[in-house]
Amino acid sequence: MSAAGPQGPPVAVHQFVPTLNPHDATGTHTLLLRDILRAAGWRSEIFAEAIHDDLAAEAYKHWMYPDHAAEGDVHIYQFSTSSAVAGFLAERGEPLIIDFHNFTGPEHFAAWEPHTEERAARAHDELVRLASRAQLGLADSRFNERCLQQAGYGRTTVIPVLVDYHRVGAPPDDRVAGELAASKREGGADILFVGRVVPSKAQHELVKALWVYRRLYDPEARLHLVGGTSSFAYLKALRGFVHELGLAGAVRIAGEVSDSALAAYFAAADVYLSLSAHEGFGVPLVEAMAAGVPVVARSVGAIRETVGDAALLLAGSDPLYTAAALHRVCTDGALRQRLVDAGRRRVPQLSLDVVAGQVVAAVATVAGTPR
Amino acid sequence: MTDKGTTTDTGDAADAAGTADPQAYVAQVMAEIEEEVRLRRSSGDLPPKLERELDELFLAHSPVAGRGGDLTEALRMVDAATFVDPVVPVASERAAGAVVKKGMRSLLLWYVGWITHQVSQFASAVSRSLHIVERRLKELERKVEVQRVPSAGVVELPALHRDGAWWVQPTLAAVGAATGRIVHAASGDGWLVRQIIAAGGDAYGVDPRPNLVEHGVLTVSDLRGEDVADHLRAVAPAGLGAIVLSGVVDGMASGERTQLLHLIATKLAPGGVLVVHSLSRSSWDAADAPYEADLAPGRPLRAETWRHLLDQSGYHTTVTIGPDDADYLVTAVRATVPPAEPTLAQ
Repeated sequence: MSAAGPQGPPVAVHQFVPTLNPHDATGTHTLLLRDILRAAGWRSEIFAEAIHDDLAAEAYKHWMYPDHAAEGDVHIYQFSTSSAVAGFLAERGEPLIIDFHNFTGPEHFAAWEPHTEERAARAHDELVRLASRAQLGLADSRFNERCLQQAGYGRTTVIPVLVDYHRVGAPPDDRVAGELAASKREGGADILFVGRVVPSKAQHELVKALWVYRRLYDPEARLHLVGGTSSFAYLKALRGFVHELGLAGAVRIAGEVSDSALAAYFAAADVYLSLSAHEGFGVPLVEAMAAGVPVVARSVGAIRETVGDAALLLAGSDPLYTAAALHRVCTDGALRQRLVDAGRRRVPQLSLDVVAGQVVAAVATVAGTPR
Repeated sequence: MTDKGTTTDTGDAADAAGTADPQAYVAQVMAEIEEEVRLRRSSGDLPPKLERELDELFLAHSPVAGRGGDLTEALRMVDAATFVDPVVPVASERAAGAVVKKGMRSLLLWYVGWITHQVSQFASAVSRSLHIVERRLKELERKVEVQRVPSAGVVELPALHRDGAWWVQPTLAAVGAATGRIVHAASGDGWLVRQIIAAGGDAYGVDPRPNLVEHGVLTVSDLRGEDVADHLRAVAPAGLGAIVLSGVVDGMASGERTQLLHLIATKLAPGGVLVVHSLSRSSWDAADAPYEADLAPGRPLRAETWRHLLDQSGYHTTVTIGPDDADYLVTAVRATVPPAEPTLAQ
């Protein structure tokens, strides 16, 4: 269907998002999608419940949408957590596309952030509530698509997250690269994980694996944890755990970093290790593959779909298994090369150009062909 | 240390690296990693309870809820945090820092103190309410306790729970192809775990009877003195290749058994094997039946009932009746379709 007539203005496909952040997967996806929609010929703006200061010029508050509304508008909701935006969209009548990135289940917050647990529990109710309103459900993995179908979505399709993985190939930050190179001269493997420091990403499991790996295989190995946090209780516990295991000099909790610093971490990494308890897609895994870093990951959620055959997948997070797998990847040249090669073959399948075409075609089934 | 590009080939998988089948190659690598893990475990390079000790160490740093603390423990934390101190510390690493901070504190104390006073009052009211809830809860618990259904104990007959028992060889054959760890419960002193390891399996044992576990730890490296269901709750989803149950399900109450089966369904990998050895009802009524049989909240199911339950849950089930109808063995293979992730289901 096309809501705008041949003489009218182009139909607008606006996006709504709970929080627009510059360094998270949903924020990056939303910004890239806005550009793709505009390039395809649709008008497109972003409306969010919360907007990071750095992106204040890129989006409007969601409650400002009525000032911008026009006949024929189509909405895309980037669903990644519970938000007031869900209720706002449920009350409106525009055609709606749900772009589903999954959300972390409440069980992952119960012990740490009781208030977040409640919010996470609400996310499922909101997803179900919007099912009857949505004309199309986009999921970035088959795993997420199954979630949509379980929630009552009739028409769904799988389109990967838009990933600008070229940022990991940017010139690395000199200071960070220098520090990492100095450590590397002391010997030992560099293990990297990129993701928010929250219970569901299970950074403490990475620390356990490092402790065993250092004890059995590589006493000089280091772990780099890159990513901001929204769970300060977990971060505090993680720091205490690292300290108590005597790993303060071996675990670097870098926090949120710039793209050039991230590039430096990927350039220095010998292996990318993920033991997350829940992943709806896993953008950093794609970045690791793009950077030529072999991946070892616990196979949960959509991880198997994301990496294809380009990773060593573990059934659980047993630290001894993980350490043995790390050792194998770090010492077996043939395996290492095979993983890196497979990663490099996998990345183009998720490239921006390929995915952009898919998403435009999918949106056009609801918004009509852009002019 | 790994210098990129200067690594060496390892193991049989090196030969497979050049083959065209990536899946076979990765499967071979994973098998070699599992063998490495098995050797490391049996060599005693790491303490047998390592993972549990690491978990406990981490949880010691978590908030009270993360430590599984009870209400009384949580209330102690609430009470300790009820008073919000408006007099902030002024220590500083810089010489002038303390002076500046002290000045700021003096200037702001009238304001901060007014806020903190109200927060402390609110916290005190919450604390008081929670203490009332705790007292009433304890009264309720005392009343409910008299109607409590006790957990089933382990019910074993010496002749049927030992190395030469008829069901041991079929069990070893059933778990022989398992990929991933194999757990035996109730493992006792590890007599079956030893046999599974000797047959090439990566096995460990769980038993709620601490005296037997302590005895067995001398000869089997990985035995855990825990309640079986508690242990399974801590295992990662689809983290086990096979589960062998003997002596633990016979006397379970219906609800307890159902909960255990639900747990097993989430912890057993697709294609994994569940083996259940159970005594028959006639064995329970025998004069030499153990006293746990009298004290158990439930009674053994008939073999066909197990088949019905497991078939309904998506297993492919085989039942073997033992000599003299004294016991039976149920072998069930889980469907290979991955389990639904709990994210949305819960």
